[in-house]
Amino acid sequence: MSAAPRDVLALARGLLDRPDPEMVGLWPRASALLAHRALEAAVERVWERRALDLKGCAKRVQIICLRAYLGDTDLAARAGHTWTALRRACHHHPYELAPTVTELRGWLSVVEELVEKAD
Amino acid sequence: MDAALRRIVSSRLEADGSLGDGGGDLVLAALAGRDGLEAQLAGRSASPAPLAVEAAPAAAGGAFLGSIAVEGFRGIGPARTLEFRPGPGLTLVVGRNGSGKSSFAEAIETLLTGDSLRWKERAAVWRDGWRNLHHPEASIRATFLVEGMAEPCVVSRRWDDAAVFELAEVAVERAGHSKADLESLGWTSALRTHRPFLSYNELGSLLDEGPSKLYDALSSILGLEGLVEGQGALQQARLAREKAQKEVAEGRGRLLERLRVVDDERARRVIAAVEGKEWDLDAVDAALGVAGAGAGDSKGAEVLRAIASLEPPDPAQVTKATAEMRSAAAAVASAQGTAAARSRDAATLLEMALSFHAAHGDGDCPVCGREGALDRSWGKKQKAAIARLREGAREADAAHERAEAARRGWEDLANLKGDALTRAAEVGLDLNELVEALAAWVRAREISDLGKLADHVEAASVPLRDAVLRLREAARAELDHREEAWRPAAVEVRAWLLGAREAVRQAADLERLKKAEAWLKKAAAGIRDDRFGPIAERAAGIWERLRQQSHVELGRIQLTGDGTRRRVVLDVTVDGVAGAALGVMSQGELHALALSLFVPRATLPESPFRFIVVDDPVQSMDPARVDGLARVLESASADRQVVVFTHDDRLAEAVRRLDIAADIVEVTRRDGSVVELRRSLDPIGRYLEDALAVAGTAGLPSSAAAHVVPGLCRLALEAVCMEVARRRRLTRGDPHADVERALTDAGHLNRLAALALFDDVERGGHVVERLRKEAGAPLAGVFEQCGTNVEVEADSTVDLVRRVSQLTAWLRGLA
Repeated sequence: MSAAPRDVLALARGLLDRPDPEMVGLWPRASALLAHRALEAAVERVWERRALDLKGCAKRVQIICLRAYLGDTDLAARAGHTWTALRRACHHHPYELAPTVTELRGWLSVVEELVEKAD
Repeated sequence: MDAALRRIVSSRLEADGSLGDGGGDLVLAALAGRDGLEAQLAGRSASPAPLAVEAAPAAAGGAFLGSIAVEGFRGIGPARTLEFRPGPGLTLVVGRNGSGKSSFAEAIETLLTGDSLRWKERAAVWRDGWRNLHHPEASIRATFLVEGMAEPCVVSRRWDDAAVFELAEVAVERAGHSKADLESLGWTSALRTHRPFLSYNELGSLLDEGPSKLYDALSSILGLEGLVEGQGALQQARLAREKAQKEVAEGRGRLLERLRVVDDERARRVIAAVEGKEWDLDAVDAALGVAGAGAGDSKGAEVLRAIASLEPPDPAQVTKATAEMRSAAAAVASAQGTAAARSRDAATLLEMALSFHAAHGDGDCPVCGREGALDRSWGKKQKAAIARLREGAREADAAHERAEAARRGWEDLANLKGDALTRAAEVGLDLNELVEALAAWVRAREISDLGKLADHVEAASVPLRDAVLRLREAARAELDHREEAWRPAAVEVRAWLLGAREAVRQAADLERLKKAEAWLKKAAAGIRDDRFGPIAERAAGIWERLRQQSHVELGRIQLTGDGTRRRVVLDVTVDGVAGAALGVMSQGELHALALSLFVPRATLPESPFRFIVVDDPVQSMDPARVDGLARVLESASADRQVVVFTHDDRLAEAVRRLDIAADIVEVTRRDGSVVELRRSLDPIGRYLEDALAVAGTAGLPSSAAAHVVPGLCRLALEAVCMEVARRRRLTRGDPHADVERALTDAGHLNRLAALALFDDVERGGHVVERLRKEAGAPLAGVFEQCGTNVEVEADSTVDLVRRVSQLTAWLRGLA
């Protein structure tokens, strides 16, 4: 739990922005995994900043609690959707292919907002 | 018109002489379209090009696809080359919607046909989107490996900066040959008859537009549009002529009715000419050509015409004639009492005496009584005296002769036609006035005094003139009246005659057209059955594989009827009940049916294409049918190069699970239309390879790898658990849909592992324990590590991947 959410987010975005011959074809999954990590790290940061002890709760519970504590119900709702989508992208589902660059950019922008808000 | 089809029709024409002379030319002309047919009918074109000229296309051997390189076209920006393994086999190109995969499929079609079926019906704004916005250059380039050609053949289509879609520079290049155009490949007609492309749109629209549309679509799959068009051209030509015939016949009825109330000889002649079954159009024309009323044997009109041309006494002539009378009378008067007059009288007297002597012989003078006065010498003397006297009397004679001539001068002043006048009453003209005036006029005969005659002529000519003028006017008015009734009728006759001549001329064509149409109809049905028979058989076989759990059974597929009654008869049985229609089939079933029809046609032996390209056949197919599709593609790929573009992993999964040999290429697309291609492994191998790449890459910070690697490892484990569970359940015959639902419901790693290990999703709590016992503690450890979101130490990521690989191998052994 060491990485700062902002740094993880930057890594995720870097995979989209800077094509790397070694990452051909695998950057979408890698970026989704990092975005997912960044989102969860941002949520933890929210609890730290507000001195709330929610870290031990299930991730789903934490996401639901965001609506009460974040102070921005709209962002909390979008963060919830994004978390669901990222979680789906980070598990193997029958016949699904890796997310598209458009999907990833959408998710990353929500994660970014949450990271800003958390700090 | 596709030359192959034309040849088939030609050989049928030769074999079957039932069509009369020129009938075959009509059929062949109709195959060239409506204009060609009309030209043939009008005799403007010679008989269609002899068959020898249309030799079979340059015998091209079977062609395989080597590669397709696309740049700046549709979803593809910078150039990308998709390589194919040449020869028979299956290639799947897998990519999300929008990844650019379909752009490759479209590019192959566009390259060879200059168009894409899916664009054909679209609006211009849609068509204009062919150029990729992120890349200025636009080109497509494919290599084909053609049997009998030592070097690959390169076909390219290149657009200049501002070029519109249609204006591409197309070239066919082969080593040792100069550049050539597309035609040089000899594929033009085969691209229609054995179209090797099928897109999702075509699949979708193929079957849902009604039985006649379906017929058209299927016969287009058969490559028989040419026959349909030819029949259409013949039918149109026939209908146009029949319509003209009908209009002329109806027009004749109206015309007869109209003419019967026109009292005119010409109207009667026209009626006589067209009343019967055979029309004498020349007689109609002749009747129209007559200048005015009164022609021929029309008695009334003849009389009227004669009267209308009567000439009344001309006042100037009257004046001239009467002046002559008076002046002649004056000349006679002035000659009276002169020597000349005496000589004339004496000569007359002597002449009479001489004729007396000639009659009665010598004797006494009958006037003075002198005896023996008349004898030969007297006669001789008197003859000489008469000659002398006549000489002296000439002047008086001339005056008398002139008077006689002047006396007859009135007779020519009025030229009245007796014949016509006696019959004037027949045409209803009033003659009283004229009769009266004439009675007065002819009294001139009885007047001997020239002066009095002149006075009479002058006086009587005025009422006579008036009477003639009035009568003439009345006759002319009657003629005009009759002409007025005819003139508009004549306009109608003329108009009708024009159409009638054309209709009579075309009546012969009509018979030929009917025969040609009937012949082509029969021939088309024969050709259709010949061509469709084997396809229907194979289609039914493919359907049998694709239908899987479908309740729909498909028997014979037949194309029947033509014209507006053309339709497809699908012998469909649902749950054993016959007589069902397409309506009972789901979208997926319809697609499967369309595919069933496409594959046999595109893989007919006579096709020069050894490849087929299918774009997204999997959409709206349920998983069970995808298995069937995979089998169908497998058997097609036994002797064909089958390239399938698909938007998700279902077909690829089925291919892997069913152990079907296939190349799988993944397509992903970055910003700016940068498309990436890579050979795909199965998902497990893919995840592990990716994890290893991330673990070992210098490009990614270790903190990122520490998170990404366990994530990819978890994906690999989930995938292998699914594969194990799916294979087991499908092998024992569980319904496809149930298996998929169980896998989707299971959700995450632990429950999936429970399915894989125990075939029971609820036994997640026992997974680690069993792994520890059977696979060993280290592998159980990495399983736990991947299941929780714990990050690993940066330097142990490679080790983690290695152990996860061992674990996936162990898990695979369970199935």
